[in-house]
Formats: sequence, C-alpha cells, structure tokens
Amino acid sequence: MRNTWIVYQKEMLETARTYKLIWIPVVFILLGAMQPIITYYMPEILQAANNVPQGILEGYVMPGAGTVMSQALGQYSTIGILVLVLVAMNSLSGERYNGSAELVLSKPVSPAGFVIAKWAGLFTILFLALGLGVASALYYTEQLIGSLPWMDVVAAAALYGIWLLCALSLTLLFSAFLRAPAAAFLSLLSSAGMALADSLMPSWFQWTPAALPGLSARLLSEGREAVGVNLSPCLSAALLILFCVAGASTLMGRNKLPK
Amino acid sequence: MERVNWGLILPLLALQVLLAVIGLISLWKAENVRGPKWLWIIIIVAGNLLGSIAYFTVGRREI
Repeated sequence: MRNTWIVYQKEMLETARTYKLIWIPVVFILLGAMQPIITYYMPEILQAANNVPQGILEGYVMPGAGTVMSQALGQYSTIGILVLVLVAMNSLSGERYNGSAELVLSKPVSPAGFVIAKWAGLFTILFLALGLGVASALYYTEQLIGSLPWMDVVAAAALYGIWLLCALSLTLLFSAFLRAPAAAFLSLLSSAGMALADSLMPSWFQWTPAALPGLSARLLSEGREAVGVNLSPCLSAALLILFCVAGASTLMGRNKLPK
Repeated sequence: MERVNWGLILPLLALQVLLAVIGLISLWKAENVRGPKWLWIIIIVAGNLLGSIAYFTVGRREI
C-alpha cells in the first residue's frame, strides 16, 4: 500500500514535469468554452463569412442551455478521448520498453500496486481536466445562453467521466502487452466500436458503458426526472475498469520486459 | 462585431497563448523530438489549439 502511494507520487511528479498537469486541463477548458461561444456568436460568424443567403440569419434560433452544455460535453468524447488515450498509451508500455518496469518490480512493489498507481495517476489527470473543463463550459453557458440546474450538470459530467475512465482503463490494459501506438489504436477502436454499436442498436446496448454519453446528454436536455435512475451502464463500466486493472496487473507480473 | 463581448473571450485567448508558450518551452528543453524542431515551432505557433495538442501527444518522445 505504501509502495503504491510512493509510485503514485513519482507518477504525479513526472506528470507535472512533462507539463501534462497544465496542458491537458488547459485543452479541456478551451474545448468546453468553445461550444457555448460558437453557438452564441453564430450569427456574427456567419456574417463575417460574408456569403450567407439572407434568410438563414433571421431563422437562427439559439438552442437551449441544456443542449449547448451537452454539445460541449460531446467535444470530450471526440478530441478529449483522443488526447487522453494518446497520453495514457505510454503509461505501461513506456516503462516496459525502457526497462524501468523491471527495475521497479524487482523492488517490493507488486505488479498490482504498480498498475493501480498508474491508473490513479491517469484518474487524477482526468478528474482535474474534466472538472475544470466542465466548470468553464458551465460558466460560459450561464453567461451567454441561460442557466442550468447545477446538480444535473455535475451528474452529467460524472457520467461522462466514467465513460472516459473506461477508455483510459482499456488503454492501460492494452499498453501492458503492446507497444504504445498499437495500444492507443486498439483502445480507440474498441471505444469507437462500443459507441457505434450503442448508436446502431440502442435497445441492445443500453447497459454498456457506451450508453453513458447518451444518458448524460438526455439528462441535460430533459432533466433528471425524465431519465430516472439507470445504474446498469455505471455498473458495467465499473466491471470493465476492474477487469482492465486486474488484467493489466496479471500481464505486468508475467512479462516485465517486452519479448 | 459590436455585439462581441471581448471581456469574456480574452481569458480564453490568454489560455491559448499560455498553451503555445508551454509547448515552446517544452520543445526548447526537449532532447528527443520526432522530426525537426523548427517544424514543430511552426506547428505550435500556427496551429493554435490543435497544433499544441499535436506537439504534446505526438511530437515528444517520452522514452
């Protein structure tokens, strides 16, 4: 337990030294703020483009605050997920390929402790980035478009966070036995595949973690009462995360060095 | 353009500049970069948000 804590501290130190602790939250803040601003200034932007037919500007209706907020969160499921996965792809495979995993694991650090420390480091980055990003999206939505019930926003952000955490955990699992680019590719592919399956056959896949972004969007646009309590996607997400961490620990115990 | 509230947008522009500056500092210190450094300078300065993201995720070699 103590060793896990020490590895986690070392992990956070490295995160700070490689500027990840600054640049990832800044990217999330900018992504979150962009959607309300673009929505609000859309008439000006179209006018500046200068070749818009007359009727379009008059017919422009400002979408509601809930819609804008869910679009802002939607940015995190495209660019956000890409950034997080590309950051996480090195977490275990980098340590294996430069030999430091073998060094660390020959000390009294268990493979599980090592993987959990890595996972906790990724969780910290995600928590910080998503928290600040959602705060900036909420601030600009409130300033420009309209107010939102805060508890709904927090709940919607938490649902999104769980989905992003699933993608991060998958990356961790794949980077325990693959090179970094292959791990990133596979985890992006599997999360995109899950999202695609959910959008094609929602009734079959509504219990999977991929249903979380849709659930979060509905919560924002229709309110908490309309969505009700739906725990099965959260439960399956928790199981997926547990499976990824356990699988990565087993693999790290077996092959500390690449074959 | 008179409807645009610059007081609201200015902090975001500042953050954008901060991101590019951090990218350039990190590039200055980096020993191991994929591709030539002058190319990354152009990408970070001209590429706004996406340029900086590209440098931080792809340009840096961590090992």
